[in-house]
Amino acid sequence: MQARPPSPAASVSALPPPAHRRLRRALSLLSALLAAATADRAVAFTATLDPAAPLTVYLQVGVGSFTNDYIYGGQPQNNTTINTVSVSVASSVLGNGTAQSMTTNSTAAQSYWDGYTFCSVPGQLYIGGFYRTTGAATAAAQVTATVPAALTDATGDSLPFSKIHWTSSGNGDSGAEPFPAGTFVNGGVQTVGSMASNTWNESCWTFTYLNNSVPPAGTFTGVVLYTLSAP
Amino acid sequence: MRRRLASFFLALALAIIWQSPARSNTVTLDDSGTQALEPGVSLRWKTATPTRSGDGNLLVGTTTIRVRINVMPWLKRSGRIYLALPAQPPGPISASWITQGRLLPGQIQSGSRVLVYAGPISTPFIEDTLRFEFTVSAALITRACPVSFHFELDET
Repeated sequence: MQARPPSPAASVSALPPPAHRRLRRALSLLSALLAAATADRAVAFTATLDPAAPLTVYLQVGVGSFTNDYIYGGQPQNNTTINTVSVSVASSVLGNGTAQSMTTNSTAAQSYWDGYTFCSVPGQLYIGGFYRTTGAATAAAQVTATVPAALTDATGDSLPFSKIHWTSSGNGDSGAEPFPAGTFVNGGVQTVGSMASNTWNESCWTFTYLNNSVPPAGTFTGVVLYTLSAP
Repeated sequence: MRRRLASFFLALALAIIWQSPARSNTVTLDDSGTQALEPGVSLRWKTATPTRSGDGNLLVGTTTIRVRINVMPWLKRSGRIYLALPAQPPGPISASWITQGRLLPGQIQSGSRVLVYAGPISTPFIEDTLRFEFTVSAALITRACPVSFHFELDET
């Protein structure tokens, strides 16, 4: 006979004396009561998530400013530059109905999204932007152009803004443009594009002067104001 | 002798059977001493600009919370403590946190729990300061929204 398992008698003799048993029982009861009391006080901690000011808008017509390309962590900046689109029409072709390509002094060829050369300057004007807002279903933001009644020269002669038309594209682009082709109205506010929420939108505009009338000689200018309106 | 051996093996079998149901008793801990050091979690865009496709529009916000968990009933025992983030409105939420060392850092998705402490419980309270970063889809949240989490202990 070698090592033997403890007999029931041996187990009984190992129990504490009655006083110790009572103490242990009391401690167990106290522990259970403490646990119950703790469970009663158990509370979930609450943190309030507050989308304080998540509405963000950015519109760039011509040159703009980013700290870097977006994919490298760039952030949008303010840029107050006013770019021009212009054409000089030779007297030999003036009013002959052959549209004249316009050029811009904008140097914005690269998309600030990834640095890709999206537009070709000076023949195209970059327009792009985004608006960000919370919520699942959100109406698109609208981009409008506020157009004067006419372009004017120093002597008060005028040229209808509707003589200027634009097409829309982008290098390597396909599908519908967010800022489609159009023609200026003769005074008023016209919609020139829209942006779905939380998307990056960009197009390149190629302007032409219709050249189907003979205005007085002069330099005609006008300023169009582009506005992004988010819902 | 034979009778003693039979009693021993019966006791052993009962002990084995008895142990299984006692393994996983989960208790929600009293964290009523926990305090936020900021009044709320102000959310901002995770990235300054959106993607071309509109994917990945996430809001993030950080807050510091001084955690104080009452573990007095388990004093001088060992325990495994979890941070639990129940599934709740506004929808899927993720959170990550760093600690000052008493609790484990980690990250969690709503509807799950993550181990933050395992070992002996030698003090009545476990305290630490946690820096949380919450992340939620912008599509899910339009106004201030409470998010609750708690600590729970698996009794062994």
